[in-house]
Amino acid sequence: MWYRSRKISLVLFALLMLIPFGAVTLAQDVVTIEWWTVSSEEYSEEVQRALVDQFNAEHPNIQVNITVLPESGFTERMTATLGAGSGAPDVAFFWDNNWFPQALDLTAYIEADPDLDPSTYFEGFWNTRSVWQDKIVGLPLGVGANFVMYNKDVFDEMGVAYPSPDWTTEDYIATATTLTDPDKRRWGGDRPRGPFRAIWRNYGAFPYSDDSTTVEGYLNSDASVAAYTWLWDLVASNVTPTPADIEILGTEGTGPIDLFLAGRLAMATLNQGHVLTAVESGVNFGIVPEPQIPGNERYANAWSLTASVWAGTEHPDEAYEWLSYWVGPEGQQFLMQNGHLFPSIPAVLETHPDADKDYVQAFFAVLEQRQVAEWVNAHPCNGTVLRAAVDAWDLVNLGEIGRDDIKATLDSLVEPAQQALDECVARLGA
Amino acid sequence: MLASWRRLSPMARREALEAYLALSPWLLGFTLFTVMPIAVSIFLSFTQWTIIEQPIWIGADNYVRMFTRDPLFWQALKVTGSFVLISLPLKLVLGLALALLLNNRLPGMNFFRTVFYIPAVISGVAVSLMWMWLLQPDTGVVNTLLDAVGVKGPNWFWDKDWALPSVALMSIWKVGGSAIIYLAGLQNIPAQLYEAAEIDGAGKWGRFWRITIPLLTPTIFFQLIIEMIDSFKVFTEAFVITQGGPLKSTYFYMLYFYEEAFRNFNMGYASALALFLTLIILATTIFINYTSKRWVYYESE
Repeated sequence: MWYRSRKISLVLFALLMLIPFGAVTLAQDVVTIEWWTVSSEEYSEEVQRALVDQFNAEHPNIQVNITVLPESGFTERMTATLGAGSGAPDVAFFWDNNWFPQALDLTAYIEADPDLDPSTYFEGFWNTRSVWQDKIVGLPLGVGANFVMYNKDVFDEMGVAYPSPDWTTEDYIATATTLTDPDKRRWGGDRPRGPFRAIWRNYGAFPYSDDSTTVEGYLNSDASVAAYTWLWDLVASNVTPTPADIEILGTEGTGPIDLFLAGRLAMATLNQGHVLTAVESGVNFGIVPEPQIPGNERYANAWSLTASVWAGTEHPDEAYEWLSYWVGPEGQQFLMQNGHLFPSIPAVLETHPDADKDYVQAFFAVLEQRQVAEWVNAHPCNGTVLRAAVDAWDLVNLGEIGRDDIKATLDSLVEPAQQALDECVARLGA
Repeated sequence: MLASWRRLSPMARREALEAYLALSPWLLGFTLFTVMPIAVSIFLSFTQWTIIEQPIWIGADNYVRMFTRDPLFWQALKVTGSFVLISLPLKLVLGLALALLLNNRLPGMNFFRTVFYIPAVISGVAVSLMWMWLLQPDTGVVNTLLDAVGVKGPNWFWDKDWALPSVALMSIWKVGGSAIIYLAGLQNIPAQLYEAAEIDGAGKWGRFWRITIPLLTPTIFFQLIIEMIDSFKVFTEAFVITQGGPLKSTYFYMLYFYEEAFRNFNMGYASALALFLTLIILATTIFINYTSKRWVYYESE
């Protein structure tokens, strides 16, 4: 009897000992995915947590652990973590192209995924934010673009026709001149805030050759001179705020929107985030693409954020599952309905609550244009060489050079730009 | 070292061991967070490193580029050097002047000491934003006041000739911090020296030049070193307000370093830039220290 009860006790003890192992086995079935993100106007922390809760509930084998980081320090933290080679999140924004070598190649995953079709995304954003060196390194979340917002009330007051989508750079100066009213401290329009964005590209200007070898004949080309000359004419017309006027009203590029909302700027080059602000403020406005040059191809300065899986993840399948949910149709639909995201999938974007509004339709049209980012992303040394181009832009913008000096100024910048290009190509490749 | 260790008595050895044990947290921290980063930085300055991928050894090429093929390096050095030359003497003189005022025995002086010290503890970003508003050409307080007396104010941060003096003006506004240190130095000067000088017929000016300044030289020496290092490291103002413009007139060395490291992912070159700045500061400090034998007087001497 004693022997039997001892035997039962031993069996019970052994079973008790096995419980933790069983628990471990169960726990191993649930994979935790670390996700780093940021909170923004388009998707607040609360909305993103709700999306995670929904995903976790639908996927009992995957638990996404969200970490919301301040946007200002995200780049530095990701760079440091990826550089360290350990501790990076399984899924995160890979919004800097320099991080792409550390992103998991998703080509095989996407080919095997019947629910995710690259052709359902805007082609321009897919090409600029997902494809890198013939690999798919991420999915584009949301879309944004610059366009010209105009205050309809000011146009009506001055009896000026609203700008049409096919307007030209010359039309821009003429319209801004008509709308300017010094007595009301009102400017007709603003100035492009940097060189080689949409307008420069519309003129056909490039900072250097496509094979990344030559600056001569590009930075100082006829097209580039024409673009800078147009800026010179715009500055000299005194119908735009000075850099000081713009900068003082915000360090995050908020200057033009503040002036626009205050009725002191009749036209301003803004983005879809500013549209939301203008709607909330009750401003009567319209949208047109940045002006074009007749006969030239037309570009838009547009962007999206690449979301990727870290190449060092221990759970690539589950990480992809979350990524394709977050940036796929379901996630973007959720972020659009509960936040302010403009999705990168046209079919989802068309279900936007304001899709029937004129200004949203105008925004959609801008998204279909070719993107400045195509060339920029394909040329990693673009930023380094632009330093020289910015010097010329500053000189014009500050009224430091005459109209006839533009060519000579650009010529003088070719040599330092070429040095910067050569150094950069040796480091980052062409 | 082993021989000297053997010569110690057992008690002295124990005391030494206990001392090192007590010092070990600091030594560990110093090694991990100061010595190692410096050593790694020296190594990286001879590499090409994008942070994300493995560093590639390129020998002295970063330094060769710095001195022979990089006009931005010279521009950043010129701007920073000019800033040091403009702001350092002004900060030293105005800090001392403020301290002399705050050293007066008047009712409510502690209030003024506190008020003048406040700028030294406010975040650099907040200070920068405030000065952006103050110096806004059209609607800023400064130009509005100048306008009221018939003077057309400049464009300050948005004028290539005025941007650097504007940043210097901002840094001078924070002299309250150094004034407090001067004040401590002033209050350490024995009162009987002034009394004796007064009895001997010395005037205020004479007492200032022959008692205050000589006995304050250790404090001036300290301030000179600290403010010099601080001036070489100027960054926030340019980062927040001017981004190095207009026309690179405020393109400070630290801003260039930051752009190379964290915008261009050129950490090897950024390390070389950082090391060169360290060498400049070190050389300047050694020079000041060397000259101090001629102009710094300690009470015990």
